[in-house]
Parts: sequence; C-alpha cells; structure tokens
Amino acid sequence: MHMADALLAPAVAATMYAASAVTVGASVRTLKKDENMAKLPTMAVTSALVFAGQMINYTIPGTGSSGHLCGGMLLSSLLGPQAGFLSMVVILAIQALFFADGGLLALGANCWNMAFYGCFVGYYLLWRPIMGSKLFQGLGAKGAGRAKIILASVLGCVITLQLGAFSVVLETSLSGITELPFGTFAGIMQPIHLAIGLVEGLITSAVLVFVYEARPELIMDVASAEGESRYSLKTTIVILAVVAAIVGGGLSLFASANPDGLEWSMFGNAESGYSENMGLDEENYGISSGAAEVASSIQDKTAFLPDYAFAGSDSAAGTSVSGLVGSAIVAAVAIAVCMAGGFFRKKKEYANA
Amino acid sequence: MDKLSGAQAELREMDALAAADSPVHRLHPLCKLLVTILYIAVTVSFPKYDFNGLMVMLLYPVLLFQAAGIPVRLCFYRLRMVLPLVCAVGIANPFLDPVPLMRLGGLPVTGGMVSMVTLMMKGIFSLMASFLLIATTPIDALCAALRKLHVPGLLVTLLLLTYRYIGLMLREVAVMTEAYHLRAPGQRGIHISAWGSFLGQLLLRSMDRAEELYGSMLLRGFRGEFHYADIPACRASGVVFTMVCTAAILTARFVRITTLLGSLFVR
Amino acid sequence: MIEFQNVSFGYDAAHSVVEGLCFSIGKGESVGLIGANGAGKSTIMKLMLGLLRGSGEIRVDGLLVCRENLPAIRKKIGFVLQDSDNQMFMPTVYEDMTFGPRNYGLSKAETDRRVDEVLNQLGLQELKFRYNHKISGGEKRMAAIATILAMEPEVILMDEPSTALDPVNRRTVIRTINSLPQTKLIASHDLDMILDTCQRVILLSHGTIAADGDTETILRDRALLEDNRMELPFCLQGWSPSTRSHLPG
Repeated sequence: MHMADALLAPAVAATMYAASAVTVGASVRTLKKDENMAKLPTMAVTSALVFAGQMINYTIPGTGSSGHLCGGMLLSSLLGPQAGFLSMVVILAIQALFFADGGLLALGANCWNMAFYGCFVGYYLLWRPIMGSKLFQGLGAKGAGRAKIILASVLGCVITLQLGAFSVVLETSLSGITELPFGTFAGIMQPIHLAIGLVEGLITSAVLVFVYEARPELIMDVASAEGESRYSLKTTIVILAVVAAIVGGGLSLFASANPDGLEWSMFGNAESGYSENMGLDEENYGISSGAAEVASSIQDKTAFLPDYAFAGSDSAAGTSVSGLVGSAIVAAVAIAVCMAGGFFRKKKEYANA
Repeated sequence: MDKLSGAQAELREMDALAAADSPVHRLHPLCKLLVTILYIAVTVSFPKYDFNGLMVMLLYPVLLFQAAGIPVRLCFYRLRMVLPLVCAVGIANPFLDPVPLMRLGGLPVTGGMVSMVTLMMKGIFSLMASFLLIATTPIDALCAALRKLHVPGLLVTLLLLTYRYIGLMLREVAVMTEAYHLRAPGQRGIHISAWGSFLGQLLLRSMDRAEELYGSMLLRGFRGEFHYADIPACRASGVVFTMVCTAAILTARFVRITTLLGSLFVR
Repeated sequence: MIEFQNVSFGYDAAHSVVEGLCFSIGKGESVGLIGANGAGKSTIMKLMLGLLRGSGEIRVDGLLVCRENLPAIRKKIGFVLQDSDNQMFMPTVYEDMTFGPRNYGLSKAETDRRVDEVLNQLGLQELKFRYNHKISGGEKRMAAIATILAMEPEVILMDEPSTALDPVNRRTVIRTINSLPQTKLIASHDLDMILDTCQRVILLSHGTIAADGDTETILRDRALLEDNRMELPFCLQGWSPSTRSHLPG
C-alpha cells in the first residue's frame, strides 16, 4: 500500500507532508512533555524489529498464500499512539530511502495512510475503548484480556487499512494520475484491503497475545483491561458504533451508485478536453508564451525542414513530432553518458589493476 | 528467506556505495537533499501527456550517476517495489483513454498510452533520484542535514538508532526463520501455531535489548540530547551545485527543451 | 574504591537475587566475579551503577550510590556490556566514542584528543571511521572497550568480555585488560581468562559470596568450583580424558 512518488501531484504530496508533519510535531511534544527518554531505545529497537518482522511470511491456513504483520497497530499497542506513530514514520522513511518502497515525495502521504490511521485512529477509537470495556467478562480476567486484544487488533487492522486504502484512492484520484473512475478504483482497493486487514489483524493479535501471556506490562491499557473498566459496555458500544458509522458511511458514500457524478464534481470536467491538460498545447501550458516566442524564433532560424514534415498530421501532433525527435536526442545523450561512464570506470579499474 | 537476505544485501550495498568517494559524495548533504526533493517534485508535476518535457529530466540522474561513479543499472533492481503499484494504477489508462493524440507511422498513439508511459517514467526517474541521494550520502550525514532542516531531534535520533538496529534485527529474524524452516521442511511460511510466538519471542528479547541499550546510554551521561556529527558548513561547491541544479530543473520544467532541440532538425 | 555493605536485591519480595552482600575492592585491584548462571554477577554490576536499586549501602570512591550521586558515579565507572551491539548504538566507532565525553560536557577538541589517544593505545586507529554494524565481532569488542576508555573511567566493569571471541581476539582482549591501570571488576565464566587477568576472585552462589580471595587458591579448589557448576581452568587441569570423568553430570 506504499504510495509511489509518481502517483502523487506535488500539491497533494505537499498537503500530506504538512498533515504528517503536524502530527509528528504534536507527537514529539507529547513525548517530550512526558520526559520519558527511556522510551527512545525501546522505540528504536521495536521499530527495527517491526521492519524486519514485516518481511516474515505467515502461512494463511487453507490457502497457499501468506500474510504479513500490521506495523501501526502493533506499535501503538506496545508504545502508545505518539511513540508508535514516530516509529512508523521512521520505518516508512527507511523503507522509502533504502529500499525504494514508497518514495521521498510520497513519504508524507504514506505516513498519513499507514502510520496516522494505524496509530491514532487505531489506538484512540479502537484499542483504548475496547481494552477499557467490560466486554468478555465471562471469560475471567486473563481470558477477557486475550479476547479484547484479538478483537481490538482485528478490528483495528481492518478499519485502519480501509481508511488507508481509501486515502490512497483519494490521493491518486486528486492527483489526476489514473483514468480509472474514482468509484471503480475504490471498488477494487477496498475489498482487497478488507481481506488483507483481516489477516494482518489476526497475525498482529497472535503476536500481542503472546506478549500478553509472557509480559503483560509491556502492552498498553492492560491494567484497564483486567481491572476496573474505564468505560461501561454501553459507552464502548456507542464508540464502536460511531466508528463503524463514520467508516462505513464514508466509504459507501464514495463508492456509491453514482461515482461518476461525484468524480465530475470533484475533479472538474477535465477529462472532456485533453487538449487543456495535454501539455503539448502552448497556450495552456506551464508558463508564459514568452518561452514559446523564443522557441519559435529559434525555430525560424534553425529549422532546415519545412513546416510539419509529416504530412497530414495536425498541429498538435506536428509540434510533438519535433518534441519526439528532441526526446530521442536526449535519450541518445543519456545512453552515451552511461556508456562513457562505464567505459571510463572500466579503464580506471584496469589502470588500478 | 529471500526477502530477509535480500534486504540485508541491499543495506550492505547502500553502505558500500555511500562510503565511496566522488565529487557527488563530497557535496554537502543538505544541498543534495534539497535538490533531490525539488527534482522529484518537478518530475511528478509534468502534465500527464507531456512525454517530451519529461524526457529531459532523465539527464539529471544519468549525469549525476556518472559523476558519482555509480552504474545506473544498480537502481533498477529496486524498481520491483515501485513499478507494480504504478503499473496497476496506470495499466487501465490505455483502455480508458483511447482517443488518439497523434499518429506515428500510421499507428495511432492514444492519450492513455502516453499517460501510462509518462507515469512509469515519473516512477523510474524519482526512484533514480532518491537512490542517488542515499547512494552518495551516509546516514549520519543525512541525519545532520535533517537536523539543519529543523526536523525534531527526537525523530532524527530515532531514525539513526533504528537504522543502526535494522541490520541486527534482519539478521535475527533471518536466523530464526532458518532455524524454523530447518525443522519444518516444506512449509513456505510460518504456521498458524507459531504466528504469535515467532515474532513475540523476538519482541520480548528486543525489549530486554532496549533496556540494556538505555542503560548503556545513561551510563555515558545521556540526558535526552544527541550530539550529531558536525557536518562542515556548506561550501561554495554545494551552493553552486544547488543553484545550477535548481536553475536546470526549473528550465527543464518551463522551457520545452526537447521541442526546441527537435525543431533544430524538423519543423 | 568500591564498598558493598549488606546489599540485597530482588525483583519481587519472595525471591532475592543477591542477599546481604558485604565486600570491598581497593583502588587498582583487579577482581574476577564468578559463579553459576543466575548467581547474581550482572546484578551486582547494575546495582553499583544505579541501574537497579536495592537495599543496603553501596559506595563508589566514597560516594553513596543514590539518585543525586549517579552522574558523578557513572562518570567514574565504565561498563563494558556483554553484547557490544547494545553498547555501540551510534553509526560509527568514532561517534560512539565521542558520545560519552560530549555528554559530560567535554569540548570537541578534548574529545578528539582522547579518542585518538585511546585508539592509539589499543592499536585500533583503522577502526575510527568504520560503521558499527560492519565491523567483526572481535573488532566490535575492542571498540566497545575503547568507547569506555574514552570516558577515562577510574573503575572498569566488564560483563563476559571474552565470550564469542576467537582465541586470538580473546588473547588481545586479555592483553588489553592487563594493560589497563584502572580498578577492574570482571564477571566471567572463562576461568582461564580470570586467572590471567585478576589477582582476586569473588565467587557468588545464589546471591551470596561463597568465597573471596586469591585467584589461584580459589580456582585450584576443585570441590568448591564443582559445587558451583564450574570446572577447573584448563591450564590447571593437566588435561587428559580421565580428568573429564570426574565432572558431575
């Protein structure tokens, strides 16, 4: 679900960067206020482990495929939402920088899609209410704790992944990258991530239950899960219902029967006239016509072929023919540079040998 | 396990590349970071049919790869992470946007075909640029640059520490995975009975490790602030590099170089 | 230099890890700390450093180990961890070595001088700018010692300094330990190394001191060692297959 740089328009990327940066700032402030620097090494080691742990293949019983761990939910339930968010940000940054998973420009969007939902929405709207609830009281303290962990992590993973996938669709569509209608794109992404979320939630809950059995004090809100409940059953159900209504309502609204109408209103009627955003059309393109004038004057002086060498093509295509020739020249230069570089490196290696 | 050893190998490779020396390596990390971000932002800002304008952007990574002495092919292995999603999003374009923009030798070139190709080019170019940044900048220099950009110290320190332990954790997970598969031949992944304990064990061990680590930091006077490696002040080379690259990138965005170049030959 | 007076510690009330410890270590002494797994070796070190809080009195160079004195005490004591990876958390050896001194407010120039001095002393100049995650196990252990020496401690604590080292690296570490003039406390199961580096040994058993005295006397006492899940150092065994048959279990 990592967004790539290419899928984002700079304006969208910048917006997402701003949103994530504000969250980072707020998280850092909260953590600093606690003066709990003991958390720093724990955060570092845990995020390094989650990074590596996401590469483990878990076999899904009854199928040939495998699932993976959901980082955001695991980290926020071990470290708390703020520390978990920062850890996820660091994981995503390392993935983008060193493993080309995601991208430098898309980092803001990825932090939002995966870390923000996973940590803040997952923690405040699901983990804490469920852990503090009176659910499963018939199972005894230990059993209720286990059941609550499973419920919270599965629900948390499913819902935060839905939100994340929806954001991916929204960001891509707002960037005007794909020709896929918004509704269709969402219709593909959401069900896929429903399945993924379910599996990830189960794997995450398995890990958390194991930690819970061995060292319960490592898990957030365990005391409230076992001891005095913070919320009554009614409050919990109300919170969960509100979450479900927001998520479900929002998703179905967007993926509703009239996606085209929605898309039309959202993105304007740009698709109807390509020439407007063709980028080949001088009048509407990038900047001033000053450059175009310079271009045509240079053209007048240097061109040795008559107007529109390819008979029968229209003007836009004609412009792009010279553009294509120019592109070919650039490509040739690039290849030549690569080859020259390779040549000199080899020579140097020989010289050194 | 392939993915784990692959990741370890990639980390090693990046370290080795960043440790080399070249004019690009010697540039100030902050300058490289800013130029890279500008380059990627400009690259993705090209309109979706502007194949020709985008083509010019190829020159920046190619030239710098050569100046840094890094073979371009090294970064193509990494495309496997970026291209699937980009392709998945772009693959529908040719079907959904079938209006021909132009004809090449009688064959129609549709808008969807062009927009799919430019999308992939954007993906490849931005990958090349960020690969170049990391391949020529060690992590500590990058962190110092981030501090200069006023990224919170806590986050930068966390990045530094996490990077330090990623290699270690990859190795531990790889060793455990090997040990698992030695006793479970024929299984492709971790069986459901071990879902929790497999990573859970490592998690518990890591918590102990973190505690020791914190002790070791305290014992050496840690009070919440890290002293970063002093990066030298930005020298003239960095300023010149930043200015030249910024000018070149903006020119490439706003002046249609390929068209000008092409019109030297065709009209 | 180090004084323990009736020190006890336990993670919970029912089980104490160490109990009623009384001993003192003089300036410049080199003391080996031995005992079975779980006898309390690491606990003693952590108590001394204030990483754990127990009952009783611990004094380091006359300073009582308590919250107010911790910075001063930790400045005096260098602790070499068993797992060097936990100790070396900065990217390069150089940055790791400067971490401690810079935190104690030393100038960059003074820190650099110390770093070079220590690296020269240990013959590790070529490690200076290497990455911590890329150096070998032996190099890492030596670098970890260098990290501690750069703080110019008066007391050095070492937790299993010879584990997972090949014989040559182990020998290098032993030589290095012997070249250090500081007060040293070394916890280890490697009795041959203890024999080579310490004049005095404290043997722990279930959190209490079972023996305290001259290294050779204690390490030659086969019955005492075997009672504590240890065996004679190899160099004192006059090793032959028959000696093995005496071993318990």
